Amino acid sequence: MTLQKSPHILQVEDSQADALMTREALQDSDMSCRISIVEDGVEALEFLNQRGKYKSSEPPDLILLDLNMPRKNGRELLAELKAHPKFRSIPVIVLTTSRAVEDIASAYDLHANCYIIKPVDFLSYSETIRAIQAFWLSIVTLGEQ
Amino acid sequence: MENEKAQSLFADEKFLRLLEAAPDAMILVDHSGAIVLVNSQTESLFSYKRHELIGSKVELLVPERFRKNHPVHRVGYMETAGVRPMGMGLNLFGLRADGSEFPVEISLSPIDTEEGRFIIAAVRDVAARRQAEEMFRGLLESAPDAMVIVDRLGKIRLVNSQTEAVFGYSREELIGERLEKLVPERYGEIHPKHRTSYFEEPRVRRMGGGLELFARRKDGSEFPVEISLSPLETEDGILVNAAIRDVSEMRRTEAIARMAEELKRSNAELEQFAYVASHDLQEPLRAVAGSVQMLQLRYEDKLDERANEFITHAVEGATRMQSLLNDLLTYSRVGTRGQTFAPTDFNKVVKAVTDDLAVAVRENNAVIRAAELPTLPADEVQMIQLFQNLIANAIKFKGDNAPQIQVGAEDCGRHWQFSIEDNGIGIDVQYADRVFVIFQRLHTRKEYPGTGIGLAICKRIVDRHNGKIWFESNENKGTTFFFTLPKSEQV
Repeated sequence: MTLQKSPHILQVEDSQADALMTREALQDSDMSCRISIVEDGVEALEFLNQRGKYKSSEPPDLILLDLNMPRKNGRELLAELKAHPKFRSIPVIVLTTSRAVEDIASAYDLHANCYIIKPVDFLSYSETIRAIQAFWLSIVTLGEQ
Repeated sequence: MENEKAQSLFADEKFLRLLEAAPDAMILVDHSGAIVLVNSQTESLFSYKRHELIGSKVELLVPERFRKNHPVHRVGYMETAGVRPMGMGLNLFGLRADGSEFPVEISLSPIDTEEGRFIIAAVRDVAARRQAEEMFRGLLESAPDAMVIVDRLGKIRLVNSQTEAVFGYSREELIGERLEKLVPERYGEIHPKHRTSYFEEPRVRRMGGGLELFARRKDGSEFPVEISLSPLETEDGILVNAAIRDVSEMRRTEAIARMAEELKRSNAELEQFAYVASHDLQEPLRAVAGSVQMLQLRYEDKLDERANEFITHAVEGATRMQSLLNDLLTYSRVGTRGQTFAPTDFNKVVKAVTDDLAVAVRENNAVIRAAELPTLPADEVQMIQLFQNLIANAIKFKGDNAPQIQVGAEDCGRHWQFSIEDNGIGIDVQYADRVFVIFQRLHTRKEYPGTGIGLAICKRIVDRHNGKIWFESNENKGTTFFFTLPKSEQV
């Protein structure tokens, strides 16, 4: 392993409030970390494939994925990512308000790396984001992207 | 002697050849009933040799039970002689040499000579035809449908007993009548036209080409039918068999199926609504709560006490709304996401619940005792949910003493009655109906937190299991919740 740039998170999220809360939460963290936000599955694929306005995007180390989004929803994107030879090794954390058992089951079925229900209040949300960051970007050893 | 003379009278070669050429057994009898001549078909049909027959009385070929009356008829015919079938409408039988009988048709004709009148009887074995007829009749009667056979003129020729049952007419009231007797009056004009055109090109097909058909009973009432038509080739020309099926029951079943489908659709919509509640409604709530909280955190030092209080209320409101939405989702899923019923051991259910509530039990020094409980068909997950809600309530609404909770069950014949007894604060019985209503609370949130969903879910679960739920309570002494579950799924 070489010492390199700070880790990069891609959040696929259509709620701007949630996206803002993620940024705020990361701001409070000790770890440096970059975050990119796209609003749905279609944009996420453009981002990952460095197409359109995302020509100069960098590959993420981690993906935070909401389930219910316009155009291409989280399940569809998850299925495509996990079937993709290159993208399937990027950990995908489903981060959603849904506590529906079908949603949880289908996410794991599609090889989500974990499923987290968004806490309601900002403090808990913030803690959750930092816990994700600590675990996936510090404790876990990820493969080279 | 006389017989020989008679024989010589008919010794003409041409006449004898003619006799042999006939398909039937031909028997020539003189005025005394003695057989004068037979053809070889007679020999094979009755298993007699020709010489055994000649000179014998024709009654030799008549079964014993008809023998006594036969000469009278014979003499009678001698007097009125004309060509005609014998025994008009009766079933006639022949008697073989070996004593066996067989059904016959006999046609009689007189031959007058200078020696007097002779009778020639053409006898035909109709066993095969009778059998075919019987098979046809059997077939007709065994058909599940009303079978009505009609001729070209629309006259009913034959019906089966199902026709009588379905239409309420007796056979006699139908045979020979116009088929339109069974057709609603409003089709009275068009029906004969369709009937006529069917006879132009008769083939097996369904009647009405996809239209809803109706038939008319004797009492004038109508009922929906399906009719299949098939031509029958008979000696009298083409007849048509109409197989008529009463589809009232089927139509009713279809209507019920449509309603069930509709219900399923509206349930799915409700489920969709619940999902919307769980996600789409929560998103904006999160935005409110999150933003306000961020405001509080980032600008704490710039805000005064009142501003902080506003923020607290906003966050609390949003949080509470979210738990209401989640509870609503749970509530709606009792009906839509239930599992099929399987034998469920309630000892295990209560054990699972007690384990789940271990922390609350310890913190409150609660004691849970359970009697021996039965195994019943139920949705195990929901049973756990049910006991969990009831036992958790018993702990939550504890009185001054540590909670003592007793779980029991009583065999009541067709169902079991469960009870969960506590020594808690009790429930004022005037709220008996309200406690099971969704989001109905009897206490302020400060006294006891919660949305008021627990008992509503309990009721929905028990309802789904075709049981009843109620309670008895003494304020400050405790409450006993009862619910029943049937022993078998069919109630």
